[in-house]
Amino acid sequence: MHFLRGGFAAPFFCPHFLNLGYNDDIMEHSASETAALVERLRSFSLLDGGLPYYRGNASSAEPTLLAALALSVSGAPAERAKPLLAWAQKLQNPDGSVGVDPGHRDQGVWLTALGAIVLHHFGLAENAKRALDFLLSLRSVTAPKDPRLRQDDTLTGWPWVPGTFGWVEPTAWSLIALSLSGLSGHPRAEEGVRFLVDRQIPSGGWNYGNPALDGKELLFFWDTTGLALVALHGHGDPTRVGASLELIEKNQGKIESLSGLSWAVLCLKGYGRDAGRARVKLLNVMGSLREEEFHAGNFALGLIALSGKKVFIP
Amino acid sequence: MKRREFLKNTVVLANAAAFGGLTHGAQQASVPCPVTLLPMPDYGRDMEKEIAAIMAGDGLVLKGKKVLLKPNFVEAHPERPINTNPSVIAGVAHACLRLGAAQVIVGEASGHRRDPWFSVLNPSLRSILDKKVRCVDLNHGDAVAVPNKGGLTGLPHFYLAKPVAEADVLINLPKMKTHHWVGVTLCLKNLFGVLPGIYYGWPKNLLHFRGIERSILDLARTVKVHYSIIDGVVGMEGDGPIMGKAKPVGALVLSPFPLAADATAARMMGFDPRKIFYLVQAGRFLPGLRQEDVVIRGERPGRFATRFDCLEEFKGMRGGPFF
Repeated sequence: MHFLRGGFAAPFFCPHFLNLGYNDDIMEHSASETAALVERLRSFSLLDGGLPYYRGNASSAEPTLLAALALSVSGAPAERAKPLLAWAQKLQNPDGSVGVDPGHRDQGVWLTALGAIVLHHFGLAENAKRALDFLLSLRSVTAPKDPRLRQDDTLTGWPWVPGTFGWVEPTAWSLIALSLSGLSGHPRAEEGVRFLVDRQIPSGGWNYGNPALDGKELLFFWDTTGLALVALHGHGDPTRVGASLELIEKNQGKIESLSGLSWAVLCLKGYGRDAGRARVKLLNVMGSLREEEFHAGNFALGLIALSGKKVFIP
Repeated sequence: MKRREFLKNTVVLANAAAFGGLTHGAQQASVPCPVTLLPMPDYGRDMEKEIAAIMAGDGLVLKGKKVLLKPNFVEAHPERPINTNPSVIAGVAHACLRLGAAQVIVGEASGHRRDPWFSVLNPSLRSILDKKVRCVDLNHGDAVAVPNKGGLTGLPHFYLAKPVAEADVLINLPKMKTHHWVGVTLCLKNLFGVLPGIYYGWPKNLLHFRGIERSILDLARTVKVHYSIIDGVVGMEGDGPIMGKAKPVGALVLSPFPLAADATAARMMGFDPRKIFYLVQAGRFLPGLRQEDVVIRGERPGRFATRFDCLEEFKGMRGGPFF
């Protein structure tokens, strides 16, 4: 089995052996700091092989999948990701979907997109293909076009829950999954791009769904903005997301949350922009989280961002 | 047709079919429902002792209990009064400790924000809470399937966040706000926030498709709430629950009866609860809709009576004067 795509035979956390691509960033923190963060994440591992969102909970798909990816890009030995992947593979349903956890396999199938990304990353081609097949069959509900609205509800994206409308986050994750698997030209991917561009707030950024309501622009969120930007990378003219990118780049120093900072770093690095301030803040936040704030999924995302590896961009 | 209209029409038609039109229907038998109005001109006042005294006076026993506080904390925003104010949450949390609660958890599954930093893990809340009080992001974590006791949505069960299912006592802490879908959001609507986003999404669009009002009613039947405290110190009028404007009212509304709290708050806002569809329907199985069943304690309600601005489509809810 081709377990680790571009696997790491390198010594654990030795930056000289890691082709991270961001040497300036690597110098900002020591390998031991990263190792400590990775170990903190690993301390959440449960006996069944998975990770919970927060300590005291059962293993769940999202933190487990993101942790597998985080270990891989942080240079951990391949065998450390194996229990996580085995847990995720067992979770996959016969139709290819990935749900919340073994007790609720039919719930939260929006997680299939992340499943496809991680399974593809580790070269688990058969599992990844089944996940992609499910994603391609999953369609959001649409509504007739209303000329009074800027938003085009005829566009199909991806829903959180089957049988409901499409939203920014599940559509962005699904688009990333398709793009990484070489399906960026698939009609569903192209429509997903149109969906995300359509949902962009005119002055920049993304809310979780509509760009505006009753003629008023909605608030933009750091996380959905960063995620949508990452998903749209390489899809058409980058100037159409320029305002959103500027928004994150200029305001990166104002972002406080682990999730927001992680997505800011991921998207700015993805577009070759300066992510220095966000990255420093991200390190500080990750190093000072209290136990009740420790969301293992977001922490894993933070590690992925710190690694500098563009795992969400083909 | 707008997406919003599409959903709204679905809700209205489905409800009309299910409930036989906008009639009041058979109401719950008359039960005296105490509702206390606690004057609170601003959030600067320490309210722990007063809240503890009122809850104890209402017969709420917390000694040795695991208590979950469910605020409306959906979108940390420095200017808009979207959330139950942290001072109110802290006041209630500390009152619970004062009354001997073994464990106090503040939990929320924000329907707007997936990032917990903008919800109950926001420093504005944590920084003023006693260290014994835990803040829990209910969007991400274990859930327990419980049978849907209402059956209006057709959902066989609800996935409740585990801390909610495991709590001995659930105290609901909504904000007094208008709502662009259902008119007002108070105690009953606030129960959407016991359902984890990883199951229902952001927003909980599945509940919209099944009918927001039906979902409110199903949850009101399914989730046992032991006490309710509405933050009406500063409410939100107009295009609530996110985009509206601040509306000072200057009171907390406390009651063991959620519908009585909602109906009283609606009257304080200048709305007739008998014209708010889901409150009327809740009156079929919960006491407290009728004004004559509400026993007001504390301050005179007339002192807080006001008139919340609302979207055009909800102006038909207006009524009063009630006090």
